[in-house]
Order: sequence, then C-alpha cells, then structure tokens
Amino acid sequence: MLPHRQPLTLLKPDIPGEGPLPDGYLEYPSQLVRVITEKPGRSSQPIQTMTASWGPTPPGLGRNSFLDAVNAELGVPVAPSVQDGNTFAAKLSAVLGARDVPELLSAPSWEIAKIPRFSQAVKALFADLTEHLQGDAARAYPMLASLPTAAWQNSVWGGRLAAVPYPTDGPFPWALFYRKDLCDRALVAAPRNIDELYQFGKRMTDPSRGVWAFGNVFDMVQMFFKCPGTLGGWRRTASGGLEHKYELPEYRQALEFSARLYREGLVHPDLVASNGSDSKQLFNAGKMIACQDGLGVWRGTQSEQSQITPGFNIQPVPLFSAVGGPPLAWAGDTPIFYTFVKKGLGRERTEELLRVLNWCAAPFGSQEHELNLYGVEGRHFTRSPDGSPIATHLGRRELADQYRLLGGRVPSLVGTADVPHFVTDLLEYSRTTYPYREENPFSGIKLELPPNYSRGIVPTEDKISDIVRGRRPLTDLSQIVREWRVASGDEGQAFLEKVLSENGR
Amino acid sequence: MNTAAPLPAVTPNRRSTRARLRRDWPFLLMAAPAALLLLVFHYVPTLGNVIAFQDYNPFEGDNALEAFLASEWIGLENFFTLFDDPAFWDALRNTLAITLFQLVCFFPLPILLAILLHGIVSHRLRSFIQSVVYLPHFFSWVLVITFFVQMLGGAGLLSQALRERGFEPWDVMTNPHGFIVLVTAEAVWKDAGWGSIVFLAALSTIDPSLYEAAAVDGAARWARLWHITLPGLRPVIILLLILRLGDALSVGFEQYLLQRDAVGRQAAEVLDTFVYHQAIVPQEWGLGAAAGLFKALIGLVLLLLSNRLAHALGEQGVYSKS
Repeated sequence: MLPHRQPLTLLKPDIPGEGPLPDGYLEYPSQLVRVITEKPGRSSQPIQTMTASWGPTPPGLGRNSFLDAVNAELGVPVAPSVQDGNTFAAKLSAVLGARDVPELLSAPSWEIAKIPRFSQAVKALFADLTEHLQGDAARAYPMLASLPTAAWQNSVWGGRLAAVPYPTDGPFPWALFYRKDLCDRALVAAPRNIDELYQFGKRMTDPSRGVWAFGNVFDMVQMFFKCPGTLGGWRRTASGGLEHKYELPEYRQALEFSARLYREGLVHPDLVASNGSDSKQLFNAGKMIACQDGLGVWRGTQSEQSQITPGFNIQPVPLFSAVGGPPLAWAGDTPIFYTFVKKGLGRERTEELLRVLNWCAAPFGSQEHELNLYGVEGRHFTRSPDGSPIATHLGRRELADQYRLLGGRVPSLVGTADVPHFVTDLLEYSRTTYPYREENPFSGIKLELPPNYSRGIVPTEDKISDIVRGRRPLTDLSQIVREWRVASGDEGQAFLEKVLSENGR
Repeated sequence: MNTAAPLPAVTPNRRSTRARLRRDWPFLLMAAPAALLLLVFHYVPTLGNVIAFQDYNPFEGDNALEAFLASEWIGLENFFTLFDDPAFWDALRNTLAITLFQLVCFFPLPILLAILLHGIVSHRLRSFIQSVVYLPHFFSWVLVITFFVQMLGGAGLLSQALRERGFEPWDVMTNPHGFIVLVTAEAVWKDAGWGSIVFLAALSTIDPSLYEAAAVDGAARWARLWHITLPGLRPVIILLLILRLGDALSVGFEQYLLQRDAVGRQAAEVLDTFVYHQAIVPQEWGLGAAAGLFKALIGLVLLLLSNRLAHALGEQGVYSKS
C-alpha cells in the first residue's frame, strides 16, 4: 500500500543524518536545479487550503505577492486559510464537526491526537489516496515518492493511505531555551543540574527591571526528573504492564519543584495564559530568560530577533537528570503534519491536488524549494555574500509556510547567513540528546485513544496546573489522580495494555 | 429577544382573514425578510438540539442530515453524564455567583451614571463625558484584559510602583479569590457607560414640568430623585432586570476564556466555557447541546417567573397576555 521510495538527493550533506536526525548542510548551494518541469495545475479553479501558523496572519490571496508568485509557478491559484497553531485543535474540531473541510487540510499530528473518532472523520471526509500513491503509482509524484517510508506508514488510517506526511526533522518535542546573550552578560552559565536550575532562576530574576527567569518549564522539569512522556506519560513496568507518570514519585518531585518556582516568584507574572504566544514575546524582549519550546522555533526566532537585538542568542540547555543516572529525553518519530485531501472531488481534481503537493515537497537544492521557503529573490529575500537567502521585511510579512507545510519534504538542515551557527548547534544538541531518548513501547503502532480517555486529559491537566501555580496544595495530587483513574485513567490503561498484548509486545 | 410592541386594540367584530390580508399585505411584506432571517438562523438551527438526546457522531452517513438520522438515540444519557460531572456544577455555581454579584454591584451603576450625566447642564461637557464612558464598550475583551494586566498584573504598573517603594507587589490578575470582583470591575469599566444609554433615553422622557412643580413645592434634590426620577425609570429598570434574569446563565465567554489560565478552572469556568472545553474541543457535541438546552430551559423559567413578578408589582414587564 505504501509508495515505493525513490530517494532523490540533489546535494551531498556535510553532516549526514542519523536515525530521525536530518542531513545537515553547512552552506547554501550556489546552483539550484529545477526538478519539476511540468506545471502542476491545469484547471484555474482556486484550491482552498488550511494550514497552521504560529505567527501573525499573512495577507490573503489577492493582497499577497508571495502567493501570486508561487501560484503562477503552480499554474493554479492556491487560496490559503492560515490558522493560529495554538488553538488549532478547536478550529479543526469545528471544521470536522461541520463536515466542511477545505480541499487540502494540513494538521499538526499532536492536534489530531486530541480529536476523538478521528479515523471515522478520515473515512467520512477525506479521500483515499491509496490507488494514487501505492507502490509504483507514486512514480507519477517523484517528490512525494522520495519521502521516508516510516512517515508514510504513519499516514495510514483504517487500512487506507489517507494523507501526505510532513516527516519529522527531529525527534524531541521540547527543549529548554535560554537567552545565552543575557546570561553571558550577567556571567551566569547554563544550569547543569536541578540545583543550578533553581539558582539560575534566583540569579536571573530581577523584578525591579521587569525580568523574570522562567516561562513555562513544567514539561522540561518533568523530563529532568525523568517522568515518562510516551502518549502523555506511560511507560512499561518490570512485570510488562504499564504505569503512568501521575503515580510516580518522580512526577511528584517535578511538581513540587515547579510549584516552588511559582511560589518564589521566579516565573514571569504575565505568564497567565498557557498558550504560548505572549510567552514568546516576553522571551524575545528579554523579560523572560528561559522557557520551553519546540526545537522548530529556534531558527525563526534567532533569525528574526537578531535583526532587532544585536547579539541575540538563544540556546537549548543541555539535558540533565535530577534523579541520578543518564538523562531522559522524550522523543517521537511521528510526522509533524499530515495533509489530507477532501473526499469526492473526482479523479482529475485529486490528481491535480497531488501534483501541487508534489511541487510543495521539492527538496532542498531545488529552485522550487527556494521559492516555496523564501519567495522571490529581490522581493521576499536578498542574498547574503555566501549566497544564502535573507528574508526582507515584505518576506517576513507575506510568508507563513502557506505551501511548505502542505507537501512534506525530505528533512534537511541548511546553514544560512542569518543564523550562522544554527546547523552545527542544533545537530550537536540533537546528537548529544539522541542517546537518551525514551523508549516508546508503542513505536510503529497506529492507535487512537478511547474518546473517554482523551476527554479526561485536559480536565486533569487543569487540576494539576492548579497545583503548579499554587492554587491547590501538593497533597491534593493523590485525590486528583484518583479522580482521573476512576473517570478515564483505568480505561486508558486497559486499552493500552490490550494494544500491547495484541501486538505481541 | 423581541419585546412585543403594544398590540393594537382588538376590534370586537373580527374581519375575515381575506379582508385582513388585503388590508395588511404591505406590512406582512415588510416583516417577511425579518421573519425569514429568524426562521433560517434561529428556528431551523434549533432543530439541531435533537443531538442533545443522541450519541451524535458527525461522521456517520454521507452528509450532515444522514449523520443526524444515523446517530444513536440515547434518550437522557447526555443529561445524566452532565449532571454527574462535578465540573458542570462548579461551572453552574460560578455562573450563578457571578450573575448575582453583578446584579448587585454592576446593574445599578449604569442607572447612577445616567442620573449623574443627566444632571450635567453644559452640553459640551456632557457629550465629552458620554464619549469617554461609551468608548470602552467598543474595545474587544482581549484589549480590555490586556489593559488590566498591564495595570494590575504581577509585572504591571501597580506592582512595579509598589516594588519600587519597597512594598510587596499585589497581583490582582492571578488571585482566584478576588476573581469575581475583578471580572465585575472589568465589565463595569467596559460597559457601564454603554448601559447608561437606555436609562438616559428614559430620563429624557420624564416631563421637566414635574421637577419644576416639585421644586416650587419645596422638594429637595433627594426628594425629587426619589419621587420623580426613579419612578420614571422604573418600567425600564424592571424590563432590563427581567431580561438580565432570563440571561442569568450567560455571563460572557471571551472574558472568562482569556482569564481561565490565570486563576484556574475552579474560579473561572462558567457554563459557556465549560461547553467549549468539555464539548466543542473534545467533540462531545451531544453533551454540549445538552448543556445548552439545560441553560436555555433555566433561562426560560427565570424569564417567566420574573415577568410574572413584574406583573404582580403592577409593571408591564417584557410581555403580557392581551
């Protein structure tokens, strides 16, 4: 059912990838090749798309020269609807519930995990791509055929190939970023253990200057205390069963530590909303020194902010263990996004959409890739002396990954002049962290959690957040966990244990 | 919520329907667009409430209608699930507490403000003050709450000023115990001015000669307020009070959604945010519809009760039987 992979390497990587770590390229190539000769679009009917973005909303079709440029290349207009990534699940839920989906829908995989009965939604609303892409049929879409097979495996719902994956370029969901430039100036080093993390907070917090050390760091603290992170916190016991982080002493310690950061006023008081958009601004403005985020924000933040603040430098704090032994890194290998095609569009239109996705999947080293990521030279980007593109003001305003997230791509990391040390820094962090990755007992199994279990997650996390922020005492944890067990936790555990035994694990 | 216009006096000898049609057709034509809108956007969607009694699965069948028909009928189970959920009762309690608190602390303020404004003689000053107090109504909740955070938050103006003078900062925005006062303060800042418009209009209908006569008879300022102004406002006050009671289970949505993380679910979850978090986001549509239906029923009962109370007090209320 999966496409036969046809690797397509345009350039030789300087630092070859390893496992889920991407290939690294230290320099931008001077010669780009054209990989798609035929225009993907044949009709002139606009393609409605929906993608996530974690920045300001860009201007829409008709007022956006970047869209015009790419659409001219595609031969068919794409009319994107860009949605706030922080609240994507709510939007997705409404769109699916109304059965009113765009022709191309790209959704983050962690948001899909929040949607109950998603496989039924796929069956009811999205096209079966199997016949278009299975085996050698994928030859018609060479860029899609070059995507890793493991990513395609994840794109199967209910025995049908239902989506085009956007393969992950790094297995780690979280890193603890800190403002190295500000810490260097204050002569404070990155913390290497949990006591130093606390001291770091004490030394970097200065309310009289409106500066606090931390934003949200709770997930990272859990990782430092080696709480399990698979599917929200499950791990195997010695006897072969499962146990959840809520019931482990490590979790209690992590909770206690985090609550202490709040109690002692080391967390920025404006960090009231847990959806992180304000948090990013405080961090960028130096009002907050350290906070957790996905490694994916590193390049964009560094590139954008070094234009505003000379010397701006963010780095991830190297992972450590607060409870002895080697550190633990939560890790995942699922694709970052999936792109679904609306059902019932007819063969011709579906093929046109797949050709558009194929164009969007053109790899690094191609002209298509450059246009997709950076826009038009002279308008949306200029070239630095080493040949790498640097976004102009217009480029920053008009580009919001409208096409990039649609088509997947072979993951690669490319050094550009705006972020000089980024590739080596990220790859070094990833390589150092990789050996500590958590073992996932469900690796490779496609599962959909029972709706009642999914429903229990957010209310429980709300209650735990009450403890972290000091609104409830730590002693309430056992009661909260008991409520969770009765309402949904037991059901979830039984389900997951059954999945393991059915798969012979 | 349409208040019925006073009905024309019913003629004792009714004309035939045909004759009335011939006479009234221009009016019916004029009312048709509004009736159509009401039908399409209110009455037809109301049929969707059927999912409150279903394990509604939007992905059944080939289209939305088939999804309705194919979803399993589970009777009152959604309501039982709802009433079993302690979070629902928390939300209901918060909602009622906020409604009652605002009824006492917010509802009278626009009346006071209107009376004060009415007392300003200078037209220029009056319209200037009116513009200033109406303005916040047009700010979105995001903006209002950002203002409050910038002023009263832990890193805001107040806390920084206290810190500079060596006092403990006072973080108003993340204190769950004072939340009810905070949201009321926000609502007052945003909407008290706007709410005074209706009362100003009512004040302008009071015959000035009543004041003059009272003044001639030696009535002091307070006596005039008590015996002329307030009785003049009474029908409007009662009317708005009834409407507010019918809406007792809605206290707003964005204001609470935005501040939920700041003070926690325990303090900030109201019925509408409960529906959002427990039904819309996790796709429990049936449960959400059940909560909505429950809310509507309670609202209807409150509305009928308060209307009856208004009649008992000799007021016209929202509507009356002809």
